[in-house]
Amino acid sequence: MKYTRADISENIGCSMIIDEKFKTGTLTIRFITDLDGSTAAANSLGVSVLSSSNKKYRSIAALNEKLSMLYGASISSFARKRGDVQILAVAASWLDSRYAIDGEDIDSEMLAIVRDCIFAPNAENGEFDSEAFAITKKDLIDRIDAELNNKRGYAISRASEVAFEGEPAQFSCYGTKESAEAVTSAQAYTAYRKLIENAHVEICYISPRENPGLVKMFRECFGTTERRSVKFRSISPVKNDVRRVSDTYDVQQCKMVLTFKSDSEDMYAMKMLSTIYGETPVSKLFMNVREKLSLCYYCACRTVGSKGAIMVDSGVERKNLGRAEEEILHQLDEIRQGNVSDEEMQSALLSIENALTQVGDTPSSYSGWFFERFCDGDIVTPQEQLERYRLVSKERLIEAARSLKLDSIYFMLDKEDKND
Amino acid sequence: MTKDTITCSRTGDSCIHVKHKSGLDIYICEMPGFSSVEALFGTKYGSINTMFKMRDDKEYTVVPEGIAHFLEHKLFENEDCDVFELYAKTGASGNAFTSFDKTCYIFNCTGNYRESLKILLDFVQKPYFTKENVDKEQGIIGQEIKMTNDNPEWRVFFNMLSCMYHEHPVKIDIAGTVESIAKIDADLLYKCYNTFYDLNNMVLSIAGNIKADEVLAICDEYLRPCEDKGLETVFPDEPEDIVKSEIREFQPVGADIFHIGYKCRPCTGAEKIKKYMAATLAASILSDPSSDMYQKLLKEEVINSSFTSEIFSGDGYFSMIFSGESSQPEKIRSAIIEEIALLRDNGLEERAFQRNKKSIYGMLVRELNNVANVANLMINSHMDMDGASPYASIETLSELTAGDVAGFIKNELLEERLVMSVIEGRQS
Repeated sequence: MKYTRADISENIGCSMIIDEKFKTGTLTIRFITDLDGSTAAANSLGVSVLSSSNKKYRSIAALNEKLSMLYGASISSFARKRGDVQILAVAASWLDSRYAIDGEDIDSEMLAIVRDCIFAPNAENGEFDSEAFAITKKDLIDRIDAELNNKRGYAISRASEVAFEGEPAQFSCYGTKESAEAVTSAQAYTAYRKLIENAHVEICYISPRENPGLVKMFRECFGTTERRSVKFRSISPVKNDVRRVSDTYDVQQCKMVLTFKSDSEDMYAMKMLSTIYGETPVSKLFMNVREKLSLCYYCACRTVGSKGAIMVDSGVERKNLGRAEEEILHQLDEIRQGNVSDEEMQSALLSIENALTQVGDTPSSYSGWFFERFCDGDIVTPQEQLERYRLVSKERLIEAARSLKLDSIYFMLDKEDKND
Repeated sequence: MTKDTITCSRTGDSCIHVKHKSGLDIYICEMPGFSSVEALFGTKYGSINTMFKMRDDKEYTVVPEGIAHFLEHKLFENEDCDVFELYAKTGASGNAFTSFDKTCYIFNCTGNYRESLKILLDFVQKPYFTKENVDKEQGIIGQEIKMTNDNPEWRVFFNMLSCMYHEHPVKIDIAGTVESIAKIDADLLYKCYNTFYDLNNMVLSIAGNIKADEVLAICDEYLRPCEDKGLETVFPDEPEDIVKSEIREFQPVGADIFHIGYKCRPCTGAEKIKKYMAATLAASILSDPSSDMYQKLLKEEVINSSFTSEIFSGDGYFSMIFSGESSQPEKIRSAIIEEIALLRDNGLEERAFQRNKKSIYGMLVRELNNVANVANLMINSHMDMDGASPYASIETLSELTAGDVAGFIKNELLEERLVMSVIEGRQS
């Protein structure tokens, strides 16, 4: 694997990973901006409409026909939230040209399509094409509506709203349904232009072959405008009193999400703590809350490093909610009191090593790795990061656990009378 | 023992197939440049196998629904400890799944793959069921069943199957019901284990950063030879017609979802892979975003980008399914019926056929880019396609003609065998 990084201009970086084992090329362009409830939907629409058509392929049908002819190549868009930051991306993936049956130069054709989608969109007079925009807008509104279809994901989103209330991280990266409905094509176009001209941009190209023209192409297209940098980590203050919020739905299994916050800067100890607490099938939460006491079907922990938080989410029967909450807190207390064995430390490290060593086995793992390290402001290899995890002592882990304070609990409740 | 190298003539990829002396089929794919290893040790035993006998049995045994999935859960617990604790010592990530027609035990790792492989081969061959551990599992699986009942994607799919199939057990939830799993005990689990966890009915598939010779040496040491006891599974006679054409359920969803499926005739043997690929190509042509039908439905705001299609097939069942989010699924159903009638009358447009063929070829080659995909592909091809090569789909696709696809559409996509299942969030 060969990794190089080029500056396209101020606050635009391009990571290029050449790895001959892959059969595909991928290119991801991420626009990074402050997450704001009043602009989230317009930003999301302004970028997602780009992947539907462009000046050359002026309809979804025309663009898709071309992509099918290029062996099912894809161009898509996505939005993500990372703490207080909104990330909007256009991503393309294609079969490497050496597998083309009819000798097509798929790589060059795809780079040209991506370039046109971003810099020559299907727009005129300061508005996106009305049909492309209407279809994209309906897609976004449907996506917002569909969040409730996935109960576990929805419960985590609601828990974020509660935990980070008053901070940008409380908002969805898609905006609200009402705000999405209100966005006009002209407003989405204005949002797109602002992102093109002012947003922080990260580009990631992964392919079995070098592309000498890539950096030049992006330098010409982006030009040199002044761009704002964003703050990737912003610690969320813990509430004075634990906040409890519940919604009731016609469901069979309740959900409970606990958010803990910390002002610790020791991210390696926090990740080790989270792994031992609830990220693996031998973690304290899995072994005790699920296996030993059968209180939950699932009970898992994740870190939200950009906000200095960890979240524990669980699927629980209503009659077990109280006992499950007690046991989740009790298991954290166990770590705070130092009840962590050498075997637990070792297995957490092995689990982290397993995840880190796999970086590079898929294009998406490369892309995710280099983007996350860019956000951390610390471009290191997986091996270098592993060495830092090896240095985490039990004392540091206990200190991280002691720094965690319970901030809020979100409950998705069933209709009680139905189960009684 | 036999050992063959299988090569894909289109891409040059290759893997090894070994018929081990123990009776086990082993697929090994060394993937230079990759760091991870993915291994699946699976048995051709899933939720549909509720009725079976061995060569020497006079009567068929009928077991409770959900028992294959229950057995999968219990196999993770051996006499001394939990299997996850063993994997924790090697750093591997262990898992398992039960589908309609198979149960697979998986690990994924980077280092220590030899130790993890020993754990996998050992625990799957060492069942340990007691009254106490079976009773406890009933509570955990009961919670899993409740959780899946809250999953609208799961409900819309099973509701559709209940409208398609009169008798075939594919219509039953993989985990069974709270009532059916209450009938499971340790003796029944041993009965099912001894029947289906016979190496002659199983496959090991392993891909990634491995050496074939090392894998085979561990297999020689850990596999316990099995006598082929002549397993026979049987399914109730299933009529070709459907049970009913429509089903609706209300759930707390934000976006209404649908499954529209054609019940097709199942097939066996060499016909299987050709029919599967013809159906895949037909589904791709029908749901192609550049097609007139897709564009019309999109512009009328009837569908969104979630609209998709798939082929769902196995022992005794075969269907083509269109799915997505929509509050007007009736319009989608009508559009599909109209489009199929047009294709039947006018034939396939050559350009659309070639375009979709290229697109599927690209998708199949891209699957070979990923360690986990390759391991899954090897076991699925063997189990689902009667021992076919992992590259058979690519080879079959290249030989497929527009006539093959047109024939499938004409003979199998019949309006009287069309079912629509809808999950709605609001009662109208």
